[in-house]
Amino acid sequence: MSVIPREEWDKYPDIEITLNVNGKDYKVKVKPYERLLDVLRYKLGFTGVKEGCGRGECGACVVLMDGKLVPSCLVLAVRANGSKVLTVEGLAPEGKLHAIQKALLDTYAVQCGFCFPGVILAIKALLDRNPNPTDEEIKDALSGQLCRCGSYLRFIKAVKLAAQYIREGKEYFDESGARG
Amino acid sequence: MVICIPRFNVYIPKDVSDALNALSQRKDLIPMGGGSDLLVLIRSGIVKADTVLDLWPLRKELAYIKRENGTVRIGALTTVSELCESDLIKDVRYAGLADVCKKFSTPFIRNIATVGGNVGAAHPLSDIALMLLVLNGKVKLLSKNGEREVNIAKFFKGKRRTVRNHDEIIAEVSFTETPPNSSTAFIKFDRRWGHAMGYVLVGAYMQLRDNIIKDVRIAFDSTGNPYPERVWTTEEFLKGKEFSDELIKQALNNVLPKEMKRITDYRASAEYRLDLSKVLLRRALLKIKSRIEGGG
Amino acid sequence: MSELPEYVRIVEEIFDKYKDKEFLYVGKRIQRWDAVEKIKGRVLFTADFAKYYRNAVFVYSVRTKYAHAKIKSIDISEAQRYPGVLRVITAKDIPGVNDVGYVIPDQPLLVSDKARYIGDIVALIVAEDPNVAKEAGELIKVDYEKLPVITDPLQVIDLRTLKEKEHPLIHEERGSDVVAHFKIRKGDVRKAFDEADVVVEGEYSTPFQEHAYMEPEAAIALPEADGGVTIIATTQCPFDVRKAVAKVLGVTQNKVRVIVPAVGGGFGGKEDVANELGAKAALAALMTGRPAVVIHSREESMIGHSKRHPMKAWYRHAAKRDGTLLGVEANIVFDTGAYASLGPFVAWRATVHATGPYRVEAARVDTLSVYTNNVYAGAFRGFGCPQVTFAIESQMDALAEELGMDPVDLRLKNILREGDRTVHGQLLTRDHGVGLEEAILKAVETSRWYEKRKLFSKQVGTLRKGIGIALLWHGNSIGVEGADYSSATLIINRDGSITFRVGLIDMGQGSQWGMVLIASEILGVPPSYFRVEQPDTAATPDSGPTVASRSTVMGGAAVVNAAYKLRQRLNKVASTLLGCDPDDVEIKAPDVYCRSNPEKKVSWSDVVEQSFWLGIPLQEFGYFRAPPAEWDEETGQGAPYITYTFGAIIAEVTVDLETGGVKVDRMVTAYDIGKVINRVGAELHAEGGAIQGLGYALMEEVVHNKDAYVMNANLSTYYIPTIHDVPDEIIPIFVEAKYRRGPFGAKGLGEPSINGIAPAIVNAVSHATGLRFHSIPLTPEKIYMALKKAGKTLF
Repeated sequence: MSVIPREEWDKYPDIEITLNVNGKDYKVKVKPYERLLDVLRYKLGFTGVKEGCGRGECGACVVLMDGKLVPSCLVLAVRANGSKVLTVEGLAPEGKLHAIQKALLDTYAVQCGFCFPGVILAIKALLDRNPNPTDEEIKDALSGQLCRCGSYLRFIKAVKLAAQYIREGKEYFDESGARG
Repeated sequence: MVICIPRFNVYIPKDVSDALNALSQRKDLIPMGGGSDLLVLIRSGIVKADTVLDLWPLRKELAYIKRENGTVRIGALTTVSELCESDLIKDVRYAGLADVCKKFSTPFIRNIATVGGNVGAAHPLSDIALMLLVLNGKVKLLSKNGEREVNIAKFFKGKRRTVRNHDEIIAEVSFTETPPNSSTAFIKFDRRWGHAMGYVLVGAYMQLRDNIIKDVRIAFDSTGNPYPERVWTTEEFLKGKEFSDELIKQALNNVLPKEMKRITDYRASAEYRLDLSKVLLRRALLKIKSRIEGGG
Repeated sequence: MSELPEYVRIVEEIFDKYKDKEFLYVGKRIQRWDAVEKIKGRVLFTADFAKYYRNAVFVYSVRTKYAHAKIKSIDISEAQRYPGVLRVITAKDIPGVNDVGYVIPDQPLLVSDKARYIGDIVALIVAEDPNVAKEAGELIKVDYEKLPVITDPLQVIDLRTLKEKEHPLIHEERGSDVVAHFKIRKGDVRKAFDEADVVVEGEYSTPFQEHAYMEPEAAIALPEADGGVTIIATTQCPFDVRKAVAKVLGVTQNKVRVIVPAVGGGFGGKEDVANELGAKAALAALMTGRPAVVIHSREESMIGHSKRHPMKAWYRHAAKRDGTLLGVEANIVFDTGAYASLGPFVAWRATVHATGPYRVEAARVDTLSVYTNNVYAGAFRGFGCPQVTFAIESQMDALAEELGMDPVDLRLKNILREGDRTVHGQLLTRDHGVGLEEAILKAVETSRWYEKRKLFSKQVGTLRKGIGIALLWHGNSIGVEGADYSSATLIINRDGSITFRVGLIDMGQGSQWGMVLIASEILGVPPSYFRVEQPDTAATPDSGPTVASRSTVMGGAAVVNAAYKLRQRLNKVASTLLGCDPDDVEIKAPDVYCRSNPEKKVSWSDVVEQSFWLGIPLQEFGYFRAPPAEWDEETGQGAPYITYTFGAIIAEVTVDLETGGVKVDRMVTAYDIGKVINRVGAELHAEGGAIQGLGYALMEEVVHNKDAYVMNANLSTYYIPTIHDVPDEIIPIFVEAKYRRGPFGAKGLGEPSINGIAPAIVNAVSHATGLRFHSIPLTPEKIYMALKKAGKTLF
């Protein structure tokens, strides 16, 4: 990293972008080098988006941007201008659990939980285009989601269960009913 | 913002000609496709960026897959996912591209990584570049002063170095449709099955007629230089001969080692890489034969 | 025995009382308290709190350029002048003691005269903008005098003679780079080897393993009015962080408050590094009067926190023709990197377990922990056991091969059973719970061992299957390593809800939930009545560190004490309401009744309310201390641990003979954990430990180059298993040979769940290939090259 003289600082202008996050519009000023990840986490408060590596290698920070799963650590905020972003916080309405979340609970997959927001969105991206995936397709779809606690086998079960819930028309569940 | 990447500016072009104009005027611009490679290089301090030229807005012009007049044209800003979801890879002749799709990084990287970016990265582990080599592909470069096409075999100059001039952008890659009795395969092998770099990457194209190898092209992640290259002598040895396990073994034992120099690094030894190159090439050729014969 | 402390008597009383009872909550699958919040993305991890502090400052660590160098001077003037820099901190600015060493004070927070590894920090830069801080880092001018770099522990010590070699000292101040030396001297070893029918010998090596928890390290410090500081940190040991930060700041411990929110994985790696992060944040917060944020990037995390110790070991086993073990000899060298961290304790635990869960009458073991210029090594799930277990279980298979015996039969001949003595002379009684034989038999049955062992031996072709076994044991809690106490607080609130506090943290393993289930069972109140309050040194009691698989056993025993006492009082209150004997009272909240008259009921909230009116306190503090461990430094004799977890792992693999690639198809993991408390947690440990162990066996290795730079300090080059790499099936089996002084008989599982995985996989690969392997990670290249040497490859 090179040292930047003071007089050159303002060459990084504030750029105003608009983002629709979880259905709500935001106007936010960003620096050209700022990552979507940082805007979501620290400017808009969506800390469900996690930073695990900052290099697109772990999958913790993925979000759905215009329906596509992307690593928010490798998407510049300026590039996200005008896009629709879905984070884990927006997956289900207040008080509800999405079928994917319910299935992960039903398979008792939760451990530290740090990888979960990414895992959940990767499963959503999969089920959106493939409502009935095979084991192999599930593994391919989750191949970038690192989980060190080792819940992988439960992810596979959960995806199948979630797919079943959705096929049965059960997309949302009451949050309160899911507690221990 | 708490953890950051070094500061840089971004030039967001309106369209292709704006981007080319900017490039011709400003020496400080570094073109960026998806960013999955460049942003990591900037983060690591390997690339010092003053201003990044974001090519993403050019997707409205340069993201496409066209098959016309016997040529396949892929816009440089087509994402790897778009390529992988296209009908092209369902064609058995391009099954090797489908192999790439299974092994190319991770699904979310494939959603931002671009075909042009992968070629422009000029890295031994550029999966798509490897397949373009065996498809005899061309890279189209655009500048304010016009365009030129370079055969991909002449495109790389070194690790992360290509013949692209500063004022040019990669606009398209293309290749001539291959004949019906041909197919391709790609194999990457590493000790991790998911999201692997690959100790060795091999791509191959072969045309068989009556079990005679009419044509064959083979590329590896490296044959001595730090970028993907073809093994011309091995190809020549195989060409025109009848396909047999014996022939392949001869090629692998007697020809390939003479034109391939492997390196030892912390991930694997040169000896293992060379032996693995042989094993994987044999598998790739057998796979292609089976694909041509309808075995998938 | 009448001298037993009350807290031990209570645990035993509860054990006896519940021995044959049906459990309501313990051992059942019950959704953990934080599952919904985690799944909704609402749970806050340390770095997430940064969003609340708008005037925070950011702390950047400037690290050394060379792994081993004298530092002649550090010039901060230019960095200090860089616009936006609020403060540059170097060693001389530290008000207290410049040390964050864990076991011995050998690790400066900020180095001033010498750098010993590439993670050493020469200065901290504090700025509002993290970019500014990082850029200013370039302006720190350090005058280095490079010193020769040592990356191989065998440059320091000779593996055969165990003598320290001539070498440039890394820690001159200690006069030696041998940090610790532990021994076992038992029986007549020479005689054992002289009289042996068979001797097998082997050298083994294991790699640096990175924890790779998904949440990198972070700490946020808030300055307090009295010169104290409040720290939010991701750590396994809040009370150790408090101690370390107080030492660095030169203040008393009550001025430092440490709060631990959700932790994204620890595996031992978040023990001592949190001392460093907490101290960095605290210094910056106090010097600027503002909230200070420290978040390590992944690359920083990988070079800046402890790793699993690499091991080099030479082993020799002597046996009779019938398979009876006569003696074991071992020279074991652990590379602790630049600093001791928990290295001495790791080496000690390795020594205790160095002969495996077998009856060994004659043994000589020497374990040395030595400094190098590598990244420092410390605690990692298993704590020295995975290393020695790899060596021992490889030796056992080599011995079986030599004797022409089935590996299971050889092991069954020699394992520890009730009434046996360990190699340390510790008598294993019924009270310890020794369920190893049952674990082996269940694993063998479930995996269809004998059938597959035979079937797989007859294969031809490129893909070959193999099946392998490994046994393990694991001393529970911390033994002689330190003061082994724990405590917990239960508060029944006026509305009948319950506040649960323990100083042991949850890093994902769910052990706090296990403790809640224990309290639920004893109080008769469903887990949903409880709220788990996250560890906070200002509120939760000091329960010791969250290490050594001690949460359920030690924390659980403290909870037993608190719940027992509350239950006694509640029974008394209820008996006055119901008119029966207190011992007759049954609580099944919301109902409370007498067993002799179940029709007559009062409600849980009535009993609670009545207690408040009667002045019966409904808060209780539970304490437990493990019975003291014994260890003779010269002979390794004594009773090093309170009890042992045992296990048997059977792995099935497919090996590609052409590439050397391995796929693990199936694993059966059978553990004797005394009593399953939190069933989901236990199953997840079995699965998670198996997957982490698979990584250790086949792919994981932090590689240093000759200058001791880490070659693979990120997650695309440091491989951990992905979902594509896991076995198709992991079958957890639990055996319950109860430990009388554990809660309901429970023993620990956190660490044992990785101990036996690598050797089971490697033994399976040996079965598939007919070749023996001596080093992990067992990469395709190692397998391929061995096959090539044996003339078993294609080309």
